[in-house]
Amino acid sequence: MDHLRKTYRHVMAVDDLSFEVEAGEIFGILGPNGAGKTTTVECAQGLRRPDGGQIRVLGLDPTTQAAELRQRIGSQLQDSALPGRLRVAESIELFAAFAHRPVNCDELLTRWRLEEQRAQSFDTLSGGQRQRLFIALAFVNSPELVFLDELTRGLDPQARRATWELIREIRQGGTTVVLVTHFMDEAEYLCDRVAVVDGGKVVALDTPQGLIDGLGLPSVVRFTTSEPDLAWLEKTDVVESMARHGQAVEIRGTGPVLALVASELVAHGIAPLDLRVERPTVEDAFLALTGREIRE
Amino acid sequence: MSTMGGYLAMTRAEFRLFRREPFSVVFVLVFPLMMMMLLAAVFGNKQADAHKIQNGMLMWRGVTPANYYTAASVAGIVAALGLLTLPISLASYRERGILRRFHASSVSASTLVSAILTLALVTFVAGTIVMAVVARLVYHAMLPQNVLGVIVALLAGTAAFGAIGLLLATVIRTSRSAQGIGLLLFFALWLISGTAPPRAVLPASLRDVGGLLPLSHLVTAIQNPWFGFGWSGTDLAVLAAWAVVAGLPALWLFRWD
Repeated sequence: MDHLRKTYRHVMAVDDLSFEVEAGEIFGILGPNGAGKTTTVECAQGLRRPDGGQIRVLGLDPTTQAAELRQRIGSQLQDSALPGRLRVAESIELFAAFAHRPVNCDELLTRWRLEEQRAQSFDTLSGGQRQRLFIALAFVNSPELVFLDELTRGLDPQARRATWELIREIRQGGTTVVLVTHFMDEAEYLCDRVAVVDGGKVVALDTPQGLIDGLGLPSVVRFTTSEPDLAWLEKTDVVESMARHGQAVEIRGTGPVLALVASELVAHGIAPLDLRVERPTVEDAFLALTGREIRE
Repeated sequence: MSTMGGYLAMTRAEFRLFRREPFSVVFVLVFPLMMMMLLAAVFGNKQADAHKIQNGMLMWRGVTPANYYTAASVAGIVAALGLLTLPISLASYRERGILRRFHASSVSASTLVSAILTLALVTFVAGTIVMAVVARLVYHAMLPQNVLGVIVALLAGTAAFGAIGLLLATVIRTSRSAQGIGLLLFFALWLISGTAPPRAVLPASLRDVGGLLPLSHLVTAIQNPWFGFGWSGTDLAVLAAWAVVAGLPALWLFRWD
């Protein structure tokens, strides 16, 4: 029962793909379409048989101990469905009947804001409602570890935020979360650590901030000024390049660019009102790592 | 919760779904009833016909046509569910990712199959009661003489046609092809198994083909106890053989996605 000292070791067979997930963390698997993210988590859940390599999930082998494992993990699958005429509350009760440690169905409905839909059949639910139902079903057996594949697909921005908060809350309760996503903001906001997967391999594994810092990606500082000659700014240590379009100035550099540029500007008697910095995001890190845009 | 709890919950869910799906109710329950009414209306209910001989066989097996079709149409219910409803719904479950969803949530193939077969058996019993009561009221047809015999025949039919339906659902990938193939098989069997024209009027070759297929045996297995002709061991054995021959590969090849 000492969860905190437990680590799960996964060595995936997508293409020599390996990573470990620590107990109690939110672990992100980020990658473009076809990178092998879904295959990876499906192998970990015992839904697919790997061709090679070893997987341990909660100390169990998903290929031979799948039945035992499924009682302890929760799954939100991509491209799954429920019988069209089965109602929301009925489906939760149905799945709860297969759980050794089922949660209270009403609480689950309330938590995932499905009380109003409880008598509605699956066919009549909106995309977001279906998604919430699938997430709810992933928690029906009080899992120690949940796999969430494209958690917020089909949710509106408000529902995404609410879902993120709930996932954080669930982690507080001690549940480990493996999150497959292609949303950068989601990975950045939720994940303690992120594995960037491309072509069936892990190309980077770090905290979201660590990914960005590790790559030494430039920050971009922008401001406008009527001052014609800014050549002295380029001589500042941290500045790598400067571009100018009329009054708009764009400076790229690594390190404390904003602070140094600001002090130089002030020293030259320039105090732009719109001085701002854009820090590199996970999206920039992803682009740098995979050489592609992640969006579908 | 135990496996039993899962089985009961799945069975309840399948019952709800069956009730809410008009196609299955209409085809499985209404179509055979309608055919019984129609065929009995065409061939009548005259005692004189009971001993009519055709191709050296008792055309109506020694009962009136209305009695003949009442029991034979019960076999039609079993065939419709096994060849149509079961493969179509399972194929669409697989196609839509419902089986994957079940699989990931500790639902075992045996639980799902048991729930479906329970639903099938209850449907057959209900369909039989409706068939018997309607035929009684409209044609003064006889009620089953040996109720236990009819129930055993329905059990054997559930096993055989359940296994065949499962095998079809395993081999056929999409619900659309399950519809096409299922309809073709259903009507082919229905026409040569004594459920539509009596087997006595069929050419010998078709009679031989029909004799190998499970529906003709189910017809006799239901008719014999219904008419008080005693048990029909051979037919029950053939149905059991079909259950094994189709059921084992079906369970072996069962795929969740």
